[in-house]
Amino acid sequence: MNFVHLHLLLNHFPILGTVIGVGLLLVSLLGKNQDLRRASLIIFPAMALMAIVTFFSGTGAQGAIQKAPGVSDALITRHQGAAMLALLFMEITGAISLIALWKSRAAPRPPRWDWSMSAVLLFSLLTAALMARVGTTGGDIRHPEIRTGHEEVAESSTFGKIVHRFEPSPDKFAELMTASKWWWAFMMDMHFVGLVLLIGSVGILDLRMLGFAKQFPIEPLHRLVPFAMFGFGLNLITGILAFTGMSAFYTYDWAFWMKMLAILLLGVNVAAFYLTDAFESVATLGPGQDAPPLAKFIAATSLILWFAVITLGRYIQPYSDTITVHK
Amino acid sequence: MTPHTSRKSPVREMSLVPPLFLQTIEDTALSTWLRESESPFAFYFVLLFHTFGLALLVGANVIVDLRLLGIARAIPLAPMQRLFRIMWVGFAINALSGVLLVIAYPTKSLTNPDFYVKLTIIGLAIWVMYKLRTNVFADATLSESEMTARGAKLAKWSLLLWFAAITAGRLLAYTYKYLTYPS
Repeated sequence: MNFVHLHLLLNHFPILGTVIGVGLLLVSLLGKNQDLRRASLIIFPAMALMAIVTFFSGTGAQGAIQKAPGVSDALITRHQGAAMLALLFMEITGAISLIALWKSRAAPRPPRWDWSMSAVLLFSLLTAALMARVGTTGGDIRHPEIRTGHEEVAESSTFGKIVHRFEPSPDKFAELMTASKWWWAFMMDMHFVGLVLLIGSVGILDLRMLGFAKQFPIEPLHRLVPFAMFGFGLNLITGILAFTGMSAFYTYDWAFWMKMLAILLLGVNVAAFYLTDAFESVATLGPGQDAPPLAKFIAATSLILWFAVITLGRYIQPYSDTITVHK
Repeated sequence: MTPHTSRKSPVREMSLVPPLFLQTIEDTALSTWLRESESPFAFYFVLLFHTFGLALLVGANVIVDLRLLGIARAIPLAPMQRLFRIMWVGFAINALSGVLLVIAYPTKSLTNPDFYVKLTIIGLAIWVMYKLRTNVFADATLSESEMTARGAKLAKWSLLLWFAAITAGRLLAYTYKYLTYPS
C-alpha cells in the first residue's frame, strides 16, 4: 500500500458514492419512497467524509508519480483544481443533507419536501457532475488513450470550459493560506473553538449515556448535537484549508493519517448510533434511567475516539516527516 | 551608542536583557528535559494535557453558558451544577500543565506580553465562573426563570472571555520574542 494505491482506492467513494446517492434520491422522488430518500441523505455526508480523505491522499499520489516519464504537471494541476471545486460542493451537499436529516427526525411522518431537500437535490446533482470531471481529469494523467484534445490541457467539452473558470489554482490557494501567520493563527484559533463546542456538546451526552449525571433526561441533551456539528464543521473547514496550505507537511505525517482514521471511525460510530436502535432506546429516557449496553458502548467509543483525535492532532507537529517514501 | 548627536532618544539602540533567573530555570534538569527530550512524554505530552484541560473547562462552561442564554431550553438547569466539578478538574489540569509549560520555556512565555494578557483574561473568566456557581446555582430554591435572569449576563461574558482566552493562548505561538534565553 502506497499513496497512489490509497488514492486510487479511495476515489471510488466520492465519485461513485455520490452518483448512487443521486440515483437513490431521484428514484425516491418518483416512487415517493421515504426510505430511499433517507438512504440518500445518509450516503451524502458519508461520501463527504470519504471525499476529504480522498482529497488528502492526492498529494502523496502526486509526489509518487510526479517525476515519472510522461506525467504532466499541468494535467495534475488541472485535476487538483477540479478536485478542490468538487470537494467544496461535496461538503455543502453533505452539510445540507445532515440538516435535512435533523429536521426530519422532529417532523411529522412522512417528512415534507422543503428548502433543505431542494438544496440537497441541487447540490448533489452539481457535485455528481463535478465529481465526473474530477474523475476524467484524474484519468487523463495516466491514460492518454482517453484524452480527446491534442493539447494536453485543452478543454474539449463545453462543460469543461465552463467549469474550468471556477476551478481554483492549487498553488495560488496554497500561497494564500500561508501568506500571513495571522491568518494561520486565526484558522488554528477557530479549530480550538470548534473543538470546545464539539467536546462540550458530545461529552455531556456521552457521559449521561454512560450513567453520569443521571438527573438529566437524555432527549434535551441530544438537542445540543447541532452545536457539536457546527463545531465539527468549523474544524472541517479550518482543517481542509490548513491542509491545502501545507499539504506535504501533513501528508508525510503518521499522526495526521491516524487522526483521519479516528474521524472516519467516529463516522461509523455515529451511523451505528442512529441506524441501530441505540438512539431510540435512549431518546425517551428520563432522569434516573439507565441507558442500554449498546448505547453505552457507542458513547464510550465516541469519547475515546474524540480524545484520540485531540491527541493525534496535537502530535502532528512533532511527527512531521515520519512517513518516508522509497523510490 | 552616541549620546545627543541626534534628535532621537539616546536609548533607541538599547534593548532590555531578560532577567537572569529565566536562564536559571532553563538550565534546570526538568526544563531541559521537557524541551530537548525526544520522548513523546515530554513537551508535547504536557501540551496535550493542556488541551484536554481546556476541552473540559471551556467545553463544560460553554454548555452552561449556552443553556443560560436559552439554547436547548428543555435541559433542566439545576443539574448543570454538576458540570462545575468537571470545570474545576479541567482548570486543575491546566494550572499544573501550564506551570510545566512555563518551566519548559520560561523566557518564551514570561517575556511575552500576550502571556500576561492570557492569564488576566483567564483570571476574569474563572471569576465569572465562580459568580455563576454562587449567584445562579448555589441557591436551590431559585426557579429556572430566576436562575436565567441572574445568569444570562454572566453567561455572555463567560463566552466572550473564554473565546478571548483561547485566542490569546493560540497567539502565544506567533508572538514570542525569544524561544530560549538569548546567549
